[in-house]
Amino acid sequence: MKIGIPRAFLYFKYGHLWETFFKELGIDIIISPETTKETLQIGTKYSIDETCLSSKIYMGHVYSLIGKCDYIFVPRIATLQDNNMVCTKFHAVYDLVNNTFKEYNIKILDYNVDHRKNQTEMSAFLEMGQKLNKKKFDVVRAYYLAKQNEKRMNDVALLEQEQLLKINNKIKLLIVAHPYNVYDKYMGEPILKHIEELDCIPIIADIAPKEEAIKKSKKISPTLPWLYNKELLGTIELYKKDIDGIILMTSFPCGPDALVNEIILRRVKDKPIINLILDEQEGTAGRETRIESFVDIIKLKKGDVNGKEKN
Amino acid sequence: MAKKKISFPQFGNYCIPFEYLLTNILNVDYIIPPPTTKRTLELGSMHSPDFVCAPFKYQLGGYIEALELGADVLFQVGGVCRLCYYGELHERILRDLGYKFEFINFSELDIYSPIDVYNKFKKYNSKLSAPAIATKLLICIEMVKMMDEMENFIRENVGFEVNNGSFDNIYNEFLEHVRKVKSKKELKKLYSIYYKKLKDNEVMKPKKPLKVGLVGEYYTIMEPFSNHFMEKELAKKGMVVTRTMNISNTVFWLGREKELKKKVKGYLKYDIGATGIDTISEALELAKKKYDGIIHIKSFGCTPEIDAMPVLQNISNDYKIPILYFSFDTQTSETGIKTRLEAFYDMITMRKEKNK
Amino acid sequence: MIKAYLGVDIGSISTKGVILDENNKILASKYIWTEGNPIGAVKNLINELETQIDINKIKIVSIGTTGSARKLIGVVLNASVVKNEITAHAIGTTSIYPDVRTIFEIGGQDSKIILIEDGIVVDYAMNTLCAAGTGSFLSSQAKRLGLEIEELGDIALKSKKPTNIAARCTVFAESDLVHKAQIGHKKEDIVAGLCKAVVTNYLNNIGKGKKIVSPIVFQGGVSKNIGVIKAFEDITGQKVLVDPNSHLMGAIGVAILARKSGQEIEFDFNVKNIEFTTRGVECHKCANNCEIICIYRGKYLIDAWGNKCDNGAIPIKNH
Repeated sequence: MKIGIPRAFLYFKYGHLWETFFKELGIDIIISPETTKETLQIGTKYSIDETCLSSKIYMGHVYSLIGKCDYIFVPRIATLQDNNMVCTKFHAVYDLVNNTFKEYNIKILDYNVDHRKNQTEMSAFLEMGQKLNKKKFDVVRAYYLAKQNEKRMNDVALLEQEQLLKINNKIKLLIVAHPYNVYDKYMGEPILKHIEELDCIPIIADIAPKEEAIKKSKKISPTLPWLYNKELLGTIELYKKDIDGIILMTSFPCGPDALVNEIILRRVKDKPIINLILDEQEGTAGRETRIESFVDIIKLKKGDVNGKEKN
Repeated sequence: MAKKKISFPQFGNYCIPFEYLLTNILNVDYIIPPPTTKRTLELGSMHSPDFVCAPFKYQLGGYIEALELGADVLFQVGGVCRLCYYGELHERILRDLGYKFEFINFSELDIYSPIDVYNKFKKYNSKLSAPAIATKLLICIEMVKMMDEMENFIRENVGFEVNNGSFDNIYNEFLEHVRKVKSKKELKKLYSIYYKKLKDNEVMKPKKPLKVGLVGEYYTIMEPFSNHFMEKELAKKGMVVTRTMNISNTVFWLGREKELKKKVKGYLKYDIGATGIDTISEALELAKKKYDGIIHIKSFGCTPEIDAMPVLQNISNDYKIPILYFSFDTQTSETGIKTRLEAFYDMITMRKEKNK
Repeated sequence: MIKAYLGVDIGSISTKGVILDENNKILASKYIWTEGNPIGAVKNLINELETQIDINKIKIVSIGTTGSARKLIGVVLNASVVKNEITAHAIGTTSIYPDVRTIFEIGGQDSKIILIEDGIVVDYAMNTLCAAGTGSFLSSQAKRLGLEIEELGDIALKSKKPTNIAARCTVFAESDLVHKAQIGHKKEDIVAGLCKAVVTNYLNNIGKGKKIVSPIVFQGGVSKNIGVIKAFEDITGQKVLVDPNSHLMGAIGVAILARKSGQEIEFDFNVKNIEFTTRGVECHKCANNCEIICIYRGKYLIDAWGNKCDNGAIPIKNH
C-alpha cells in the first residue's frame, strides 16, 4: 500500500510527524513534488476563484498524486488543545478534496483532530492506525517515535535559528508567515533567497518555542482565536529585541491574516513592518523593489546607508 | 449619573429583541443605529483593512453611526468564524479614531460560564438578579423565534400580495408593539393576532408558483442592504422565497450539529466550519423538495462558504437544480446583480414550462 | 406591407441592431460603436437601418432591447420587450443553432457562459469582479504592443510556443506583458499567450464547475479573434463554432422575443430626430443618496429610475 502526501498546507507543520509515523508502520509514502507554476495552474483550475492562494496550491498537489498512490492523505484539524481554533479551511479540506475530485473516485486517508469533541491527536492517530489494519501496540509505538522525531527536528531548527539571532553585524528580518507559505518552493523560497542576497538574515517566525510564543501573543492580541496565528504573532514579542524589521507574508485573500495583520500594524509600533501579499501574479519585480526599499529604510535608520551595500 | 446608551450594529430586524433584552435587564437606553445605507458602508470601508469580509465593514460603519447618535457602550457578540475576532479589531480601530466608549466583547468572556457574563453586565445594573434575567431572556428568545416564523411566512407570500406593501405594514405594526410587551403571555397573544392577520392578508397565488431558496453566509443573507435586497427583488417577480438561515435555526437549535451531519451524508463527512454545513443541508433540502432554483449568497472571501461551493456544484449536478452564486463585496455593481437575477428568473421560468 | 421586428443590443462598447421578418430572416443589420453615448448611438443605428430597407414595404410593429443600456433605450424606442442579455443571446443562438449546448460569450466588458439543453437555458454564469480577459482588456494590451486589435488573431496563429501571461488582472497583465517583451519573447508568442490567457482565465473563472458539452458556439466581439478561437479549441479539445453574425445574436434574440410578445406598438423612424436627454439627480431623502436618472423626451419627463426606496420615486405623467 502506498500513501500520497500533498506537499502543501499542514505538511510543512506536521511533515516530520507524518513521515516517521508511516515509516515506522512500514507503509510506503510518496510526497508530491515541490510546487511549480504548473502546480498552481492546475490547482487554480480545481478551485473556486476567490479561494486563498495556498489552498489552490494544495489542490494542485492533490491532483498530482491522483493515480500515483492508493490513498491520498488529507487530515482534518478543527480545534486543538485548550479549545484553540484553526482556520476553517482545515475543517473543510477533507470534504473539499472529496467533492472537488469526485469524478476521479479518489480514496482518501484522513484523521480528525477536534479537541472540543474530545478527539485528540493521539486518539486520531490510533483510529487511523486501526483503519490501516495495524496492531494497536505498533501504532502507539509509531506515534511516540514520530512525536519524538518531530520534537527533535523542531529543536534542531530552533538551535540553528538561535545562532542566527546572535549575529550582530547583519540586518535580521522576522518573516511572519504560515509555514505553508514561507517554505513553499514557489511562494516563499524566492523571497527568502532575495532577502539573503540583500545580505540580510531571514528569521522564520514558524521556528520558535511554541508554548512560549502562544503565551506572548496575548500581549499583542488577547482574543486571537487561531492557534497557528498565535504561534506566529507571539514570536514578534519573543524576538523583538534581536530583529530589525518585520515582514508579514500573506497569501491572498487569507481570512485570519487579513485581521491579524491589521492588529499587528496597529499594535506593534516600535519596529518597521511591511505587508507582502502573495497572489497568482508572477510580477516578482514589484515585490523585490518593495523588499529592497524596506531594507534601505532600515539601513537608513541604523545610519549606514552605504555600509553594507553589496558590490 | 446619566443612563448609559448601548448599541449593536443593524442586523435584520434583530435589533428589536436586543433592545428589549438589554433595556429590560440593565439600567441603560438602547440606541438603534440608523438603517444600513451606502454611508454606513463607506464609513466602514474607509477604516477597515483591505480584504476583510464585507460584514466587518458594515458593522464598523454601524458602530460609527451609533457613536454619532450618542451611544457610549458598544457590544460585539462574536460568532463561529472570523466574527469571533471582529470585536478586538473593531474596538482597536474605533479607539484609534479617537472615539470614547465602553466595549463589551463577548470573545473576552467565557460564554460558557454564566457567572463571567453576569459579572460583566452587573456594572450596568447593581440590582441585576438572575431570575429577572432568565425571565427576560426567555421572552427574548421567544420573540426571535416568532419573528423568524413570521418572516418566513412573509417571504413565501409577499410576492403575491394583492395590496402592495400590506405584509410589510402588518409586520411593522407587530414590531412596534412587540417592543413594549411586559410578559410572555402578552407576547403570545400579540403573536397570534398578527400571525392571523398575515394569514388573512389577501394574496393571489398561482397553483404552482416558482419557488427559489436562498442559502449562504450568516450575515450577508440576513442583512438585506448587504445583499442588495435580494429577497424583495425575487418576490417582486412573483416567486415563493424560502430562507431557512436565521437565528432560530442556528443559535437556538439544540442538537443542530448532530442533525445537520445526518442530513448532509453523502456530501460531507465533517462540519466544514461556520455555516458551511447549514448551506449544504439547506440546499439539499431545497433540491429534494424540487425547488426551481437556489441562490447562494456570501460576502467575498468567506472561506467556509467558498469551501461549500464545490459541494453545491455536485448537488446542482446530481439533482439538476440550477444554483446562482453571488459574492458581495463593497463595490458590487447593482446592474450586474439585476441582470443576473433577471436571467435566472427567465431560466427557471422556461425550465418549468418545459417540464410541465 | 411586411411586418418586421427590430432588435437592438446596446453594450458598453458597441451597439447592434437587426430587423427581422416573421420567419427570422434578417432584413437589415448594423454594428456601430457606442462611444459612451447610447442615445446618440441608437439614433445613428436607426438612421443606418432605415437606409437598408424600403419603409414603404416594411413596417416595424414591435421592438425589443437588450444589453447594458437596455432600459434606457427601451424607453427611448418605446419597446415592447426589454430583456437581459443572457436570455436574449440564448434565444438568438438557438434560433440559428437549435442543437447548441454551450455558448461562450466574451464581449467588451463582460463575459458569460450559457448552458442549454433542448433549447432551454439550464445554467449560466457571468464575470463578476473585473474586466480582465474581456474585449477591452485585449484591445488595451494590443495598444501596448503597438498593434491593431483586428491584427491580433492572425499574429497569434504564427506562434509555435505561446508565452505564459498572467491575465487575472488587467494592470498586472500589462506589467507582465511589458516584462516578457523586454526579456525578449517574440511578439507573436506574446500575442498567442495573451489569447491563451483570455481562454484559461475564462474557463477558470466563468466556466468553473460547468460541464462544457458540444456543440459549442462562441460569440461576442472577441469571437472575431481567430487566435482566441484556436486557444479555445486547443484547451477544450472540441470544435468551436463561430457564426458570421455572431455579433448580432443578442439583437436577433430580442427581436424574436418582441415578435413572440404579440405586443404591437407603432414605430416611427423619425425617432432619430427627437431630442432625448437624461439627467442625474441625487436624492437626499436618506443617507443612501441614490442617484436617480430622469429621462426626458423634449422637455417632458418620460421615465426615472435608480431609487433604492419609495422615498425617491418620481411620479411620471403621461404625455
